[in-house]
Amino acid sequence: MGIRIALAGNPNCGKTTLFNALTGSNQFVGNWPGVTVEYKEGKYKGDKEVKIVDLPGIYSLSPYTLEEVVSRNYLIDEKPEAIINVIDGTNLERNLYLTTQIVELGIPVVIAINMMDVVEKNGDKINTKKLSEEIGVPVIEISALKNRGLKDIVDAAVKAAKEAKPQSPKHRFNGSVEHAFAHIEELCLHGIEDENVQRWYSIKLFERDEKIQEKLGLSSDVIDHIEKDIASCEKELDDDAESIITGERYNYIGTIINDCVKKAAKGLTISDKIDRVVTNRWLALPIFAVVMWLVYYISVTTVGTWATDWANDGVFGDGWHLFAVGSSDYTDAADEFTANQLIVDGYDLYVEENGSEPTGDFEYPVEDEETAAVDYETASLDDYAAAKAYVEANEEPDPADYGVWVPGVPVFVEAGLDAIGCNDVVKGLILDGIVAGVGAVLGFVPQILILFIFLAFLEACGYMARVAFIMDRIFRKFGLSGKSFIPMLIGTGCGIPGIMASRTIENDRDRKMTIMTTTFIPCGAKLPFIAMVAGAIFGGASWVAPSAYFLGIFAIITSGIMLKKTKMFAGDPAPFVMELPAYHWPTLGNVLRSMWERGWSFIKKAGTIILLSTIVVWFCTFFGVVDGAFTMLEEDQIDHSILATIGRCLAWIFIPLGFGDWEATVASITGLVAKENIVGTLAIIYGASGDVYETMRAAFTNASGFAFLAFNLLCAPCFAAMGAIKREMNNIKWFWRAIGYQCGFAWVIGLIIYQVGKVFTGEGFTFGTIFGIAGICVILYGLFRKDKYNK
Amino acid sequence: MGTVIVVLILAAIVAAIIGSMVKARKRGQHPICGGDCGHCGGSCGCH
Repeated sequence: MGIRIALAGNPNCGKTTLFNALTGSNQFVGNWPGVTVEYKEGKYKGDKEVKIVDLPGIYSLSPYTLEEVVSRNYLIDEKPEAIINVIDGTNLERNLYLTTQIVELGIPVVIAINMMDVVEKNGDKINTKKLSEEIGVPVIEISALKNRGLKDIVDAAVKAAKEAKPQSPKHRFNGSVEHAFAHIEELCLHGIEDENVQRWYSIKLFERDEKIQEKLGLSSDVIDHIEKDIASCEKELDDDAESIITGERYNYIGTIINDCVKKAAKGLTISDKIDRVVTNRWLALPIFAVVMWLVYYISVTTVGTWATDWANDGVFGDGWHLFAVGSSDYTDAADEFTANQLIVDGYDLYVEENGSEPTGDFEYPVEDEETAAVDYETASLDDYAAAKAYVEANEEPDPADYGVWVPGVPVFVEAGLDAIGCNDVVKGLILDGIVAGVGAVLGFVPQILILFIFLAFLEACGYMARVAFIMDRIFRKFGLSGKSFIPMLIGTGCGIPGIMASRTIENDRDRKMTIMTTTFIPCGAKLPFIAMVAGAIFGGASWVAPSAYFLGIFAIITSGIMLKKTKMFAGDPAPFVMELPAYHWPTLGNVLRSMWERGWSFIKKAGTIILLSTIVVWFCTFFGVVDGAFTMLEEDQIDHSILATIGRCLAWIFIPLGFGDWEATVASITGLVAKENIVGTLAIIYGASGDVYETMRAAFTNASGFAFLAFNLLCAPCFAAMGAIKREMNNIKWFWRAIGYQCGFAWVIGLIIYQVGKVFTGEGFTFGTIFGIAGICVILYGLFRKDKYNK
Repeated sequence: MGTVIVVLILAAIVAAIIGSMVKARKRGQHPICGGDCGHCGGSCGCH
């Protein structure tokens, strides 16, 4: 039989980093509590017979949180052959509190002092030999991040497991406490087969741990008897039992620290100095806003856009110049040709509209490619003559003449299909359905990857832990817990693990509320949609993408305040304890791995569920009933399609939100399968009428476009996330309440944005504006009404 | 003939996708959650 070694330690001491290093796994590492909710198993790379178990981070073996229960149950019931107690060397005093309990479990323990590189850098010194003598277990210095001491720690744990001789705890409590333990052991613990664990049980019974009383099946007589021993001890020491144990443990730890640790004398650390600014009462929020604005600005608007333009226009468009050689020459030539062609076309337009040739200067329209805004420029008759001569003398520039021209996927596929004489229907399915739909989604991969790099960096360097701290301060003012923000941080990658992370919230009402609001934060799958709306409807405006993130936070805070005032969610917020890790530069490998894990799942989804969806969407778009006959439709007939029929049945819901047409309606519906589907669906539907962005731009105003964005960001998430909500709610009524609330809230916000937004975008005050203002009043009432249920 | 070959390839791709999703479902994974499993920490149905 193999050896099982459990990794136990405080949150954020590096257990999962050590687990990944030992097993070669890629488990998510985060520097906030609750990242590991359940234990995970993996095989040690150096010996497949050795199984490593990563337990949730805990501060003690008391059963107060889900993580503590999971870890404690594993250690007591599963009894691993050895425990590696991972300790953060930079915070020995707090970490040793758990150690004093673990060594009492009757399981061989080896201590791994992690982050020794940081300890040394700080100039601190830990006498591990002395520490080992005082605690009575082997102590090994390691750095999980730098792969230092990893073999030594596993070898020591394997040796301890093979010897199977649990250490005898060196720590002894006050005489009267030990006396009480002896009584308890004699009274009810002598029957326990494993003698080594008797001491631990006696301590827990002394602390009045109800779960242990239940586990041991103690009768009320025995419990009463134990209670007398405890009460007498409490009277003698003038404190409650739990405080007596805690106090004695910390006294013991104090002596260990005095004997074994020498701290270098120094003032504020760099982390402390940064925190004085970053977590400052007044500056924290503006800094957070600027950071997130920059993240979205760079990943969606600037660098991300360049990369995505290449992917959309090059790889999934006409093609691109290899290594961009010849690209700028071609662009210059094409611009020159277009400028002359516009003058010639403008002249022809003048003649058409006026019935005669211009006698002097004339105006001609020029459309901005990004914003579709039409501007008028003036040309003289000389300009026209020169332009006409240029257009007649030159052909439209061919990109292949300026460098190595790589055709895009659609061009390549079309040429292949033409070469084998493929049928038009199948060709349409592949080009207008699969390539257009999947290509539209994949085209956003560069933006997604850039966003994930930033998020991974912010998480790994320690900033996101500060954000949770900052948000806790704000949340608490409104009766919410900062614990609710952790699932939202995790949800920026994918909503499902975010929903799962809500398990760490002990307060059931807070947990349910967090589940309901977590998916408001834009996940990775929503990013292509955000980028598409920003590019197509708002001409690539830089404020659109960050506004989507802040709209999510606004929705979470607003919902939290409103819901907390209802009977269903009333109550004090759960306490939130978290340690702020020291700032550090994350390793490039960790950031890239985190980015790739998230990005790869996005790409994989495009090749599976999105591909299948595009086939269905294409079929429903290009087939329908015309003149009583079911037939394949021409591009100008898609108003008769199956999709149009379905969309029209539901479009009335969105009329007050400004996008009550069947195209936007079906895109919102297909988004329930996977949010990327909105992009794929719009690419197929709008692509049938010409350029996707141009058609989309024509279909929306600024107000209706932003309402469309807001509704799809805030409404019910994809089916997979809905499944997670159902599992976590574990109650069908609560599941429907959550979905109903999300859709209702999204609808009201969409209504406000469209109806009130119209006033500010020049569409004037209409009858609908009254309903928009009514929507604002409803939200304000929810926010400011008297709180009857909370103190 | 070209059309038949393309349709067969397409059918094979679709079958492979559906097959992989069914297999994933049997393994206890969520067929359409492809997202961000590393983040789950093994705590959800998609592992």
